[in-house]
Amino acid sequence: MARADMFDPTTAAAGPATMSDSGAQLFDLGYRSYDGERHRPARAIATLATFTARRVLGMGRGARHKVLPSLALVIAFLPALLSVAFAVLTDDLLEEDLISYGEYTFFIGAALALFAALVAPEALCPDRRSGLLGLYLAGPLDRTRYVAGKAAAVYGVMLLIAVGPLLFMLLAFVLSGYGPATSEIPELLLRILASGGSTALLYASLSLAVSSFTTRRAAAAVATILLLYVPMAIARSAIESADAPTELDLVSFPFVASELSVRIFGETSEDSGPISELATAAIAGGLLTASAAALLLCWLRYRRIEAFR
Amino acid sequence: MSSLETSPVIAARDVTKRYGSTTALAGLTAEIGAGITGLLGSNGAGKTTFMSLVLGLRSRDGGELSVLGHDPATAGIEMRARIGFAPEHHDLPAELSASDFVRHLAEMHLLPRNAAVQRANEALWLVGLGEERFRPVATMSTGQRQRAKLAAAIAHDPELVLLDEPTDGLDPIQRTSMLDLIRRIGTEFGLHIVVSSHHLEEVERICDAVVIVEGGEVVRAGSLADVRRGPEGLVVEVDERADELARALAAAGFEATVDDGRVLVDPADGLHDAVRDAIADLGVGLRRLGPRGRTLEDVYLGAGS
Repeated sequence: MARADMFDPTTAAAGPATMSDSGAQLFDLGYRSYDGERHRPARAIATLATFTARRVLGMGRGARHKVLPSLALVIAFLPALLSVAFAVLTDDLLEEDLISYGEYTFFIGAALALFAALVAPEALCPDRRSGLLGLYLAGPLDRTRYVAGKAAAVYGVMLLIAVGPLLFMLLAFVLSGYGPATSEIPELLLRILASGGSTALLYASLSLAVSSFTTRRAAAAVATILLLYVPMAIARSAIESADAPTELDLVSFPFVASELSVRIFGETSEDSGPISELATAAIAGGLLTASAAALLLCWLRYRRIEAFR
Repeated sequence: MSSLETSPVIAARDVTKRYGSTTALAGLTAEIGAGITGLLGSNGAGKTTFMSLVLGLRSRDGGELSVLGHDPATAGIEMRARIGFAPEHHDLPAELSASDFVRHLAEMHLLPRNAAVQRANEALWLVGLGEERFRPVATMSTGQRQRAKLAAAIAHDPELVLLDEPTDGLDPIQRTSMLDLIRRIGTEFGLHIVVSSHHLEEVERICDAVVIVEGGEVVRAGSLADVRRGPEGLVVEVDERADELARALAAAGFEATVDDGRVLVDPADGLHDAVRDAIADLGVGLRRLGPRGRTLEDVYLGAGS
């Protein structure tokens, strides 16, 4: 197929040009076909995930889009920063005075909830409102790959807040001489990844599921917060006042994540409520089941969404 | 010569699509070849549904469909990477600049980042948005958004470009400019273009071929010349007294009828001389004398009836 040349501004300056008497130049802006490298279709998922993660964090956007992500990051990292600062600046600090790795998820519950309410709605809702979803699906993406790309972005950003502070704390303690022995670092690192990974999975999945039901970010954000705390309030009330089974507390999602983190680090919790009576396998199973169900719901929802207008 | 120039870009046979009890496409059969093809039909005729099937975004209920040699139902991802699409709606991501919007979609169509950046700029210059490329698309006029969508559709150098109502919302000057642009992209750059439209004059102006869809069926398809070809003979337009001219020709032994002020004369030996003489005898002014043919409007209205 014969293709004419497309204009190339990078070569236009060196290419054909006419010089008028006044010295101004008119460049021949042509058109050319593209014969260069093309990625494999799977790359579109990574492109979508990267683009979405950057948008969610406010990168390449105006200052107002950076406020909430920055606030959530500050809330998430503040306990780690203070913990390290106290450890370094105070001579007679006991280990019990510091926030443990296991307790950290509980301490940053507000930041996790804020981020969950912010990230997935920002990742999903605008695409449907702006029609970008239809443009994506008219390219080398199908609905499953689209959801995979968005889920990867949301999960990646949630990992920032769920794993980042713990890694920072570990690094700071090690560098300042308060950290674990070198031989213990690999195991601690694995625990951090398992704890943060499971926490990010739960929060990301729930907020993705909620966000798939509305095109309005604010509605999705509010619904995410409600999903995190309303079932918890109902379940705990039922357990305490109506002797409902303790397993019902598996819908107390923030505590499911924080209690599992405590167990992963081999610690015991004092403030987790009824869920602390459950076996670790039950808590892990509850977290995985809720996450899988939420992701499935999101995927099913996107199978039915009308993308072509 | 590539295989695409010899085989249809899009081939549909007995394609059906239903939404509940509503039949959107009722056995649509058409072949769309190289060049610019107009998909013409009234609102609700099935144009957008057909486009969505071509893109593999919806599943058909029956029939066979081949796009660039692939079945969209089974090879959607690979096939769509080779297609550019500009939707009808004007909603675009609010805060993205035109440059970021086009570049991102080029990347999504598997171009490496550096190539996507360069191609996005090239495409935006081509459509006349070079100076405006860093403006958020949300702040752009409808005409500029249409151009941004066109740039996004061609930036990854697709083989086939689908444009859904590309002049929707444009004023006459913008419309003319957009049509010229589409014509240029189709003729100079070798992209196969399918333009969905319900504006007859647009299709007539820029397309090489047309597929007329009504009620989910193709009622006429082919090259514009073939579709417009009417009965042989002459059409004569005079300043006045067309009825008398027709009668004079009939008296001279020719089959002449008056249609909407025009005199249509069937072919016969000596026809041109007879028309000249009849006009001279009547002393009326001649506005137009030409071979009988049909406008696309004639074809469209005839097909509809």
